[in-house]
Amino acid sequence: MNRLALLSALTLGLLSFNPVNAAVIYAGKEKAIAVCSHCHGMIKPSVDAPFPSLAGRDLTYLKSALAQYRDKTRKNDLMNALAGSLTDNDISNIAAYYAGLKIK
Amino acid sequence: MKTIKRNLSPATLTRLAAALLLPFSAFAAPTDGSKIPALYQENCASCHGADLGGFIAPALNADTLKGRSLTSLRTLTMAGSFDTLMPPFYGRLADDDIRGLVSYLKATPKQANPAWTLEDIKASVKVYVKDESTLPAKPTYQIDDINNIIGVAARGKYGRGEGSKAVFINSVTHQVIGEIPTGTAAHIIDYDPANPRWAYVKNDSAELFKIDLYSMQIVRSVKTGFNGPSLGVSRDGKYIMAGSYVPHNAVILDANTLEPLKTFELEGIDPDGKQVSSDSGMIIGTPFADIFAIALENAGQVWVVDLKEGFPVTRIENVGRHLHDAFLSHGGSKLMVASYDDSIVTAIDLKDRKIIKKLEAGCVPHVGGGSVVEVDGRTLGFGTNFGDCDKMVVSVWDLDKMEVVKQVPVSGGTESPAAHANAPYVAVDIISKDRRARTVQLIDKKSLEVVKTLDVGGHAYFPEYSADGKFLYISAGYNGDEVVVYDSNSLEKIASIAMESPAGIFSHGRVRYMTRGLSPDELTKRDGDKGAK
Ligand code: HEC
Ligand code: HEC
Repeated sequence: MNRLALLSALTLGLLSFNPVNAAVIYAGKEKAIAVCSHCHGMIKPSVDAPFPSLAGRDLTYLKSALAQYRDKTRKNDLMNALAGSLTDNDISNIAAYYAGLKIK
Repeated sequence: MKTIKRNLSPATLTRLAAALLLPFSAFAAPTDGSKIPALYQENCASCHGADLGGFIAPALNADTLKGRSLTSLRTLTMAGSFDTLMPPFYGRLADDDIRGLVSYLKATPKQANPAWTLEDIKASVKVYVKDESTLPAKPTYQIDDINNIIGVAARGKYGRGEGSKAVFINSVTHQVIGEIPTGTAAHIIDYDPANPRWAYVKNDSAELFKIDLYSMQIVRSVKTGFNGPSLGVSRDGKYIMAGSYVPHNAVILDANTLEPLKTFELEGIDPDGKQVSSDSGMIIGTPFADIFAIALENAGQVWVVDLKEGFPVTRIENVGRHLHDAFLSHGGSKLMVASYDDSIVTAIDLKDRKIIKKLEAGCVPHVGGGSVVEVDGRTLGFGTNFGDCDKMVVSVWDLDKMEVVKQVPVSGGTESPAAHANAPYVAVDIISKDRRARTVQLIDKKSLEVVKTLDVGGHAYFPEYSADGKFLYISAGYNGDEVVVYDSNSLEKIASIAMESPAGIFSHGRVRYMTRGLSPDELTKRDGDKGAK
């Protein structure tokens, strides 16, 4: 069940732009800026937010988590809706961005 | 807008009375005994208005949400709205509460203007440091000149909580020297022009904090209303005036004790001849005289309040339709007031208390503190315009002749210009709702052309120069979560200071140069000959 179909529709536009000749991490950063930072922060989530931190996390873990959200083997309404429209490329790029961040 | 009065049942009145004892839920008048109105006051009111009438975010009530589906409103509340200040409430509020909130908002009219009287204000004064003589005689940290302090209003992701604070930075070393938690988002920071140790911070729920900059702590606080951004300090540092959107009033406080001295009901006849109750626009103290000037947004009037027995008011009418902010020039004797709806900036002579002239601006002028620079013998005023329209410009006026010099084309709507006597560029923040919002443009003072665009990140806004003019500070707001520092000449990025959702930036140097861009010497000179030129 996809109670948040609307959210997918909302974010689709934001997620589906093309990185033009940009470095992979930069492409990941663009998407992180546009969407993910809203909950997970550009670097870290708000001290008041209930969202997990992604910065500096293991690259393989981040990739598999996103793939699982996409195919709904890991269930969470929000993340399922958000990851639903990500391509493999998007996942690699975004995961590379967050994995490469140093936590201060 | 017309407000609707309803008859309250005795049970409701009892609950209301009980609620009034708690300052934060004072405004939550429960209609069915549910906790939803209180949830609204606690989580949403600081942005959407305690009366559901909107503040820094849109109004949420039966009128404005008419025809909207509950599902879409719920999804929006849960996930937030990307690239805006609307945070995701997923995980912070239970799904049932979010459903309850959106149903409540869709069914409830904008609330009547609540009372918040002199007595309420008085009762809200909190004293954190009883004996101010115990405070240190000089700063407890290394700083060469107190004017090097820059204060940043950090909003925090949710507009309240741990992330909401006033952050003070040494603008020579770019190190944080103090952080003051403000409960809800810090909105405006003002400094005592007479005594360097005091700063005043107002938050989105209209609480005002008196801060000791030497020991970086809150000394006293007072709740001046429910929402309202305006705040001014008198030139002698003795009085503060604060104004509200909810309720429609303003108050003069003793700056020392924060005790209220007089409240003002903001109402008057607007330029269309209608008697209206009005939000408080900007409030400003001036080095020119012992007065405050306050803009009545909806009444289109500027009131000049004399700081003497009884605080008498001179009303200047017909200033414009929907006034907002303003800036001073000529030793503080001239006030330039932005009027949203007729796209003008009105020049007022504070000596004669008369309108000098209405000057053309761009669309929806929002001067955000303005800038005044002296170039080639001319006194030029810079005004930003935040409307998105065909003509996106920054207005430049000759403030001696009071005429338009140029409408400088920029890439989008702008909210606040920064200038400094020692820096070559006037910086303006582009706020149009797309990638342009990441940028700040720099206008050369001499050629009056945009010469450079900085990609700052986040929602870049509120540029401000350090007191020495060497550095340009810019908030990478919303999700940018940092303040970025540039060299004013080379425009190289030289530092970044992390904080949640930074917004307004306020240099202590403002007390010396009055309006950003003027040199302190100019102010002294003008002050000496009583502002006449
Ligand atoms: C509206 C809020 C929201 C947005 C936007 C969002 N997330 Fe999430 N994210 C969540 C929540 C909530 C969880 C925890 C879900 C759970 O319990 O599995 C989560 C979990 C995750 C996890 C798993 C972390 C862990 O510790 O296992 C990853 C990875 C992740 N998100 C990546 C992303 C990426 C990449 C984006 C941008 C495309 C994004 N998120 C956008 C809310 C959000
Ligand atoms: C930090 C400030 C802030 C807080 C706190 C906040 N909002 Fe918002 N909200 C906004 C802004 C800004 C917008 C406009 C977003 C846009 O333009 O897309 C908005 C938009 C909305 C909208 C859509 C309105 C419309 O007309 O489309 C709803 C519904 C909403 N908020 C509900 C809430 C609720 C419920 C709460 C409390 C649980 C809340 N908001 C708390 C800033 C805030």
